[in-house]
Amino acid sequence: MGLSEKIDALLSQVEKPVRYMGGEYGSVMKDLRGVDVRYAFLFPDVYEVGMSHLGMKILYHAINRMDGAWCERVFSPWVDMDAKMREAGVPLFSLESRTPVREFDLLGITLQYEMSYTNILSALDLAGIELLARNRKSGPFVICGGPCACNPEPLAPFVDAFAMGDGEELTLKTIEVYRQWRDAGLPRGAYLEMLAQLDGMYVPSLYEVSYQGDGTIEKIQPRSVAKMPVMKALVNDLSAAEYPDALVVPYGEVVHNRIMLEIFRGCTRGCRFCQAGMIYRPVRERSMGRLLELAEKLVRATGYDEISLMSLSSGDYSCLPDLAREMVKRYQEKRVKISLPSLRIDSYLTDTLKETQKVRKTALTLAPEAGSQRLRDVINKGVTEEDLMRSVKEAFENGWSAVKLYFMIGLPTETDEDVMGIADLAQKVRQCYFAVPKGQRAPGLRITVSASVFVPKPHTPFEWAAQLDAATIRHRQQMLRQALAGMKGVDFKYHEMDVSFVEAVFARGDRRTGEALLRAWELGCRFDGWSEYFRMDLWMRAFQEVGLDPAFYANRERAETEIFPWEHIDAGVTKEFLLREWHKALRAETTQDCRKGCVNCGIRRYKGACV
Amino acid sequence: MRVLYRFAKKERLRFVSHLDLQRFMQRALNRTGLKIAYSNGFNPHPILSFASALAIGWTSEYELFDVKLAEPIDRDTALAEMRQALPPDLPILDARLVDDRHPALMGRLVMADYDLGLADGVKALHEAADAYWAQETVLAMRKTKSGEKQTNIRPMSIFLEKKPSGFYARLMLTEQETLKPDLLLRTLAEIAGIELPPVRIHRLLLLGQDARGTAKPLLDL
Repeated sequence: MGLSEKIDALLSQVEKPVRYMGGEYGSVMKDLRGVDVRYAFLFPDVYEVGMSHLGMKILYHAINRMDGAWCERVFSPWVDMDAKMREAGVPLFSLESRTPVREFDLLGITLQYEMSYTNILSALDLAGIELLARNRKSGPFVICGGPCACNPEPLAPFVDAFAMGDGEELTLKTIEVYRQWRDAGLPRGAYLEMLAQLDGMYVPSLYEVSYQGDGTIEKIQPRSVAKMPVMKALVNDLSAAEYPDALVVPYGEVVHNRIMLEIFRGCTRGCRFCQAGMIYRPVRERSMGRLLELAEKLVRATGYDEISLMSLSSGDYSCLPDLAREMVKRYQEKRVKISLPSLRIDSYLTDTLKETQKVRKTALTLAPEAGSQRLRDVINKGVTEEDLMRSVKEAFENGWSAVKLYFMIGLPTETDEDVMGIADLAQKVRQCYFAVPKGQRAPGLRITVSASVFVPKPHTPFEWAAQLDAATIRHRQQMLRQALAGMKGVDFKYHEMDVSFVEAVFARGDRRTGEALLRAWELGCRFDGWSEYFRMDLWMRAFQEVGLDPAFYANRERAETEIFPWEHIDAGVTKEFLLREWHKALRAETTQDCRKGCVNCGIRRYKGACV
Repeated sequence: MRVLYRFAKKERLRFVSHLDLQRFMQRALNRTGLKIAYSNGFNPHPILSFASALAIGWTSEYELFDVKLAEPIDRDTALAEMRQALPPDLPILDARLVDDRHPALMGRLVMADYDLGLADGVKALHEAADAYWAQETVLAMRKTKSGEKQTNIRPMSIFLEKKPSGFYARLMLTEQETLKPDLLLRTLAEIAGIELPPVRIHRLLLLGQDARGTAKPLLDL
């Protein structure tokens, strides 16, 4: 029985077999006779999640536009399929051609979330690829990219190379260099040394890390050709950059089943907790002309009836009203909806939309992040209570009745009072609703207050900060729960502390945490981002068995002089800028949105950036 | 004007549910240059209907859907536009243009032909088929809208031909009387006293009846 037949035999035994089916409209098939580099792109979570990810769509398209290169998709099989595959001896395979991942030349993996790391180990193992990079003698080179790559160290033992920054051009270069390496007939290690010459590529085996007695890093020493630091790859002109003009259209429902148009990358606001806001600098807008051209092609190529305008803060797009109006005008007849960022209820825009299409009154989503003005200043979230109340009031007056409010618990300098401020805000939002005359407002007020647990991230001003201890976090969660319990129409949701704790360890972990990761995986940890599979007991056992104290990574405030595990990675902003911001945070001083004037974050050191 | 399309659902896509296929066809129609007629109402949607739902796991070479157009076109355009909007595993095999008064496909559907492939147990099931055919009444639990019901399925089997790989069967497929091929096979396995081996169910044809009661392919009626 061939591999394809074996896979077929498993499909009737698992839930959601469409996850493993392939054959979607828009999936790229190539004639192997014309292919010389085979690239497997792994999203280390299930199909429905991975198929909603924009980065994968961009790179899939960019690679497949290359002559001779074929990119195929790979997702983590869900636990039922994983078990069946192991039982039947079916290795991890690509969706397009059902080829074992082991037979590819390159394996790209996107790192979106620390809690998907065990899935990466599962995938390598299921593929029959040696887990430890240093023992790998054959099979594909394993290259990781994505936001979590900015602290690559926990995965350093398992990964051959990391791609930092924008992937559109860098990924294609890794393929070109692969061809040069193969044509030259050089040994395996030579490819990695060649990669290390590229801006944005980090090859962990070319760096030696030594530690001090207290567990902190003494020195990160590059060997031979390795760069110090590794500067991220930057695409300056997004309008000229690769962007898909066709998409794979899934059969089943996936999380985001629509056209996603990235209108700009980066963010100028400078929220201090936000890693994306720091590492995707500078802001680069895609021109309106390019966006309209892409929209036209994508609507035709996919048949989707919804276009979502994406970015970190879409309200900041310089010509958002023009763009939205033009798109609504163009697609009204084709019945294509334009979904706009709900963060800004521009009344003129709302009126335009109301006339032309049925705006879906989904919940208005606002992210004040903290309950008091003082704490919002600490995190540099440039919104005031007045801003919030104005948005909410307008929304209620325009027929919205559902509001989602996002907060974090455990932010640096947070007190019980700050957390109780969240309950006050919720109460004020309620009052705002009831202040609108009964005939004028939509019935059924629903306020959802969501509180996640703050996880300090590398390359942010809070990279020095301690994560608040679990007991205090739990105390504040319960305090808030009780305060909100009496409010009619208010729902409270909060994150599990334990997951955020492990996330905090790996967000700022060093190479040694890789051992704990491996041990946790051996003990059975996987799909840790799915609460039904998260096993705190196994994680704690893993840390203990490898002799690491997770609190050292999660709950310790770092000295300003400490050498970080990611010290050799330059993600765009300088450490001086981050330190300045950390100091200002502790004084509750804000920093302006850099559209209003440069704040010297350091991104101008990059050629062509922010001019 | 309406277009009746005949398409196949191949092996690779056999796990796509009917609901997902309906959504998929709506998007596929958006990918064509065809001017589709939309329903009135709060949420306008294309006027699109399928002759019959195909169960998950089955393949077919005779699935039909019916779509209403806002502007008339010729058959070649109808074929070409739809073909470029579908993946290789959902090929369009035929199309027929009819006017708006043409009866709905679903209402005229009476029976379907299936190719039933068996991994093993062919001999035992062939013998069971002889026994089955010799009886006038064979009771089986049939799932209907109102729950499970003991039904005589024998009259719902029009014919059952033996093939080296399994069977070629014609079974009733109306709103009141439907015999699903998997139920037939389970019943045969019960008669044979064996576990039902893995089966492949492939729909060959959907049929209706002309004025004289003669069975005819649905698209030709």
